[in-house]
Amino acid sequence: MTFDPMKLIKSREWMPECAPTYSRLQTEAEGGCGVVGLAASVGLPGKHILGPLIKMHNRGNGKGGGIAAVGLDHVQMRVPKDILDDHYLVQVAYVDPAFREELEREFIDVSYKVHTRYQVEESDDPLVLSALPVRPPQVWRYFVRALPERLQEFVQKRGLQELEARRAEDEFVNQTSFAINHKYYVQKGMKAFVMSHGRDMIIMKVVGYAEDVILFYRLENMTAHVWIGHQRYPTKGKVWHPGGAHPFMGLDEGLVHNGDFANYHSVSEYLAQKNVVPLFLTDTEVSVLLFDLLNRTYQYPLEYIIEALAPTTERDFHHLPEEKKPLYQAIQRTHIHGSPDGPWFFIIARNCFYQDKFQLIGITDPSMLRPQVFALVEGEVQIGLIGSEKQAIDSALSSIAEEHPSVPRQADVYWNARGGSHTDGGAFVFTLEKEGAHRKLSCTNKFSAPVQLDLDYDRQMDVALAAPLRPGGTDLLVEAGNGEEMFQRFLSALPGMDADAFRSLMQATVARASRSDTDLREMLKFLTLAIDRRYPSGIIRRSRITDKALEAVNLILRSIPKAGANGSSFCLVDNLDRNVPLAQGTDPVLVVDCRGFPMEGEEGPSFVIRDGHKKGYHHVIMIDACGQRFFGCGLGPGSQGLKIETFGTSGDYLASGLAGGEIEVHGNAQDQLGQIMASGKLVVHGDVGQTFMYGAKGGEAYIMGNAAGRPLINAVGRPRVIINGTCLDYLAESFMAGDPLNGGGFVVLNGMTFDPSGKPVDLPTPYPGGNLFSLASGGAIYVRDPLRKVTGDQLNGGRFGRMTEEDWRTILPLLQENERLFGISVDGFLLQKDGKEARPSEVYRKIEPSTAKGKPEDVLEDDI
Amino acid sequence: MSEQYDCVPEASWIPSEKLKFINRYVVERKDTCISCGLCGSLCPYGVHQRIEGHAKVLPPYSQRCIGPTCASNDFHCVSHCPTNSLSVRESETFSALGDVRWTTDMILATWHMAETGEMLPLDHPGNTGRAGGGFDHLHFKLGDVPEKVDYAEFSTAIDLNRRKSGERRRIAIPVYGGGMSYGSVSLHTMVARAKAAKAWGTYTCTGEGGYPAELVPFKDNVITQIATGLFGVKEETIMRAPIVEFKYAQGAKPGLGGHLLGDKNTPLVAKMREAVPNTSLFSPFPFHSVYSVEDHKKHLDWISSINPQALLSVKVSTPNDVEMVAIGSYYAGAHIVHLDGGYGGTGAAPEIAKKNIAMPIEYAIPKVHKFLTNEGVREDVTLIASGGMRTALDVAKAIALGADGVVIGTAEMVALGCVRCGNCESGRGCPRGIATTDPVLYLQMDTNWGAQRLTNLFSAWRKQWCHLLASFGMKDITELRGRTDLLRYDAGEEVRA
Repeated sequence: MTFDPMKLIKSREWMPECAPTYSRLQTEAEGGCGVVGLAASVGLPGKHILGPLIKMHNRGNGKGGGIAAVGLDHVQMRVPKDILDDHYLVQVAYVDPAFREELEREFIDVSYKVHTRYQVEESDDPLVLSALPVRPPQVWRYFVRALPERLQEFVQKRGLQELEARRAEDEFVNQTSFAINHKYYVQKGMKAFVMSHGRDMIIMKVVGYAEDVILFYRLENMTAHVWIGHQRYPTKGKVWHPGGAHPFMGLDEGLVHNGDFANYHSVSEYLAQKNVVPLFLTDTEVSVLLFDLLNRTYQYPLEYIIEALAPTTERDFHHLPEEKKPLYQAIQRTHIHGSPDGPWFFIIARNCFYQDKFQLIGITDPSMLRPQVFALVEGEVQIGLIGSEKQAIDSALSSIAEEHPSVPRQADVYWNARGGSHTDGGAFVFTLEKEGAHRKLSCTNKFSAPVQLDLDYDRQMDVALAAPLRPGGTDLLVEAGNGEEMFQRFLSALPGMDADAFRSLMQATVARASRSDTDLREMLKFLTLAIDRRYPSGIIRRSRITDKALEAVNLILRSIPKAGANGSSFCLVDNLDRNVPLAQGTDPVLVVDCRGFPMEGEEGPSFVIRDGHKKGYHHVIMIDACGQRFFGCGLGPGSQGLKIETFGTSGDYLASGLAGGEIEVHGNAQDQLGQIMASGKLVVHGDVGQTFMYGAKGGEAYIMGNAAGRPLINAVGRPRVIINGTCLDYLAESFMAGDPLNGGGFVVLNGMTFDPSGKPVDLPTPYPGGNLFSLASGGAIYVRDPLRKVTGDQLNGGRFGRMTEEDWRTILPLLQENERLFGISVDGFLLQKDGKEARPSEVYRKIEPSTAKGKPEDVLEDDI
Repeated sequence: MSEQYDCVPEASWIPSEKLKFINRYVVERKDTCISCGLCGSLCPYGVHQRIEGHAKVLPPYSQRCIGPTCASNDFHCVSHCPTNSLSVRESETFSALGDVRWTTDMILATWHMAETGEMLPLDHPGNTGRAGGGFDHLHFKLGDVPEKVDYAEFSTAIDLNRRKSGERRRIAIPVYGGGMSYGSVSLHTMVARAKAAKAWGTYTCTGEGGYPAELVPFKDNVITQIATGLFGVKEETIMRAPIVEFKYAQGAKPGLGGHLLGDKNTPLVAKMREAVPNTSLFSPFPFHSVYSVEDHKKHLDWISSINPQALLSVKVSTPNDVEMVAIGSYYAGAHIVHLDGGYGGTGAAPEIAKKNIAMPIEYAIPKVHKFLTNEGVREDVTLIASGGMRTALDVAKAIALGADGVVIGTAEMVALGCVRCGNCESGRGCPRGIATTDPVLYLQMDTNWGAQRLTNLFSAWRKQWCHLLASFGMKDITELRGRTDLLRYDAGEEVRA
């Protein structure tokens, strides 16, 4: 019944002989890159992926960019629907167009029945062309099926008689493309190559930035259900051919990759044993070959493919359900040599032809070494997104929102995957299945557990709210009182509030803010609370409230005078006029409109903050940030008294080096926050990314949500941190922060989250990772673990110590500040166990270095 | 006169109070000597002397003896002594000192130069070691070396910023000091290095262990290091640094991170690093925030956002694809690509790692030099080599292989009196008070004394480079870069035998 994969492997026996003879050293070393992917229930035009790619410009170096699109429009593809659905769409890139006739004669026309062929349209805009270092290849599309007699011949010759006819044809296409690439890419020296071969999907790539692909091949209006894009950063300088750019093709799939394999050689050997060899001058091609092998040759379900790529090991393996263990063990035994080691992150777009599904898949490496963010938007138009940086996702949503009002500019949920874990498997899959004329999007993790949002909101109202806020308007709610009081009134009014009421509230807020500086401050306070806090949002969806509140913040602050005129203590600086005047008035506020500012460098907004600090501002508000980096860097020692607030998406390395000042991030933050932070305060009303507070020396930090991988590694001195959620793994490795009871540092891990109604709830376990406080020699972790879920096997060098009254006195002030900032009540929630108030030592546990002076937990009996 | 000759500081005689000059041979005279004075009249080197009017011959001046090979000479004192009172043997101290990389001759030569500021001839045995490979098998095809040269006519300066933008930073000699952390070496050692660097207009480096306040007066000549443990790295240390060095890996122990064993983590060191005293401190490998080249670029951008004026130096070891690392660093914004080969490292680097992991630096330099040249960016980047550069000739060889300049470490330690005993990892193990933070041991060295020793060493080295350039008919050390044609490979006798 089942087909023996060995037969497919045997059918490829001729292929290894075609392997290029150059050594690995001649190939291009891949660095990391910027990757983004989106899947939508409707076809989306290519222009929406343009924005995120431009936002991640600095993750590439212009030496390669590409996109893949799955689920195309048959009219745009110039073929009937059934042809698009079931013909192979073979795209050949002619680096040297002179070879086209020869290649068609020799391969295309003798192997395939070609239904339609045409050259892909190119831009003749001189601006587009001048941006490209090398003219991209001429690309021809062929909609083909194998010629029956040639297919028959192939099946006989390669011994694939037992294989299902259609799958044999798949292999025929695969081997034909291989033969083309071998002859025209390897032997003849990069004259032409097959850019993609699959049903209802294409890959396009160039030497240049990824946005150049869209502009050059005029993909701005081409629609597709699934898009992935890639900014490449190869380290070698002179790259002149696009063959090595991402995405790489498998049959019916395109893969982009961020990172590189430490065990490239081993993976290549493994593939060679299966008669699979790469032809292109780059090491990343093996990733897609690996995926294709597991998918098409072994015909594994996706879960097994992911397990083979990113195995579940150590503690996570032991926590797998019993029935999975033997299966996973077998997969690991068979495929461990092909499992990529090192930092990697794959995004795959594929057409599951046999199941009539499109998929967007993100897989992270088991050590979680690459940055990754997943996001989901529900509604009329459902969208799943994956990116290296959150601003890429937000940029895509802003762009889509212009076309589809039902899409908010904020995703309904953002999250990170925990690579190689028993919890989510480190992989999430967005699947588009047919539902009537459209497609329905669902999101599942590796174990097919769905990511469900349980959003209950009025869709019509949601769309009605999409239109921009208009000036003017009054609302009783905002007529009097300060921001705090308004927020309380807003909370009580919200459950009954409809779209019109909410809109007029927002408009009235903007109107009142223009009356005076005091009104402005209070309205800002109100909007900030509406953005930061978690609460039941009635029949309006939460992401829409945030969206509109941010819009109101931008409206208010963009309307203040540019150079502090009219005696106002507010002053606005934007990219057109970035001159910061000297601070004047009482409590002067500098507002920096980040729109249009570059991501980094001396022209970037971080230098405006420095400038503002020097010119006497004690309060700086960054609005509409879209990933700009290094906020709060370079202020030097003595930034006490300076407060920076950020709205929008602040970028990497925020507060890295902070010594004295205070930074408050309204929303999620990104990677590398608070590196070497010395003192001061950092507040994040959301999640933080990778290596949070690496090498920090001190300061206070309050994180409302989760931290991704490796927070507080190598931190010393006296950093005092509250993380209300959890971490992916490796929290406080090599922590060296002295004695927390004598001025040293610690982390409080509260292990909680908010449910959709804004109620605080406990996470299933406060810390799911297998490495907690490893190799630490100082400091402590206070983990809120009433059910004693954290176990000794998660500690490597640490131990459970006694939670004494002194410990509680040390952390209580921070927990109180945490309550003030996020509304997470100490008595009303944190100290609750089974719905009853509990003593701190019943709820909190102390993890300390095994060399610590005190007694371990198990000899404790003087409860507090 | 070359533009930078003004920077050359004065050398002065700066003997060591602790180090006695070590003889290669010991000449002994027994009591049976009758003071006939024959030996004195025979020896042309002046080992035996009798002052006019003295009854006895002076004790032998062993330092001048040429050793047992003299037996073939007709003035051989031992065979002519009428009472058989004379004997010549190898000095125990001499044979106990040194190793194949740092031979006794080399240590003594370095001490001599540090003491006097005078150069040794280019064919002096102290210029090369006996390691059986590396720079010890590379020799210059020396032309006629003039006896006297006018040092003012030669330029030994190099530019550290070769990009078209940013501040130009030119150093008078093609060397600067490598990173040695507070904790791995004493404060006095750091200050002595900084003083010498200031005198020469070059740089020294804090290493990874904090920026002691005592170094602040020398901040214009102090590179600060950002290494994987981020110990002691703060905004203020980055803001005051003219050059920031990112230590990704160390050639002596690539892939192993950094270690400061508990013994050396004294309360003072721990305070500087804000860590817990007496625990072993590890710097991880690699940077946890950098797992790819675009992370690397971001990392460099970060430091530029703190100090936009600082030059950025990226220190990497020499893996097989070292040229990819180099070009990637350049495109990420580095001004200096610093290749650290495997011959260096103090006694604290694990013996198994040293020399066994990284690619030999003499292969890495030309590989990277050629690659950068072919990429068309060689003139925009400064290529610095390090890892076991011991002498002026090693430096010159590295330059001839394609580097712009060199970073040194151990040579400075030897100039300060290091005897290469290799106990650097232990807290109280350093007999000279160099690699220790022990409050008693480190007082052995006075910083002015150390600074002058280093100044003298560079002074002597500069003279050697001038003579070398003169022999090739060159006036500027940058002319030597990439001139592999001036080198010859000679496996030496120990291999041929």
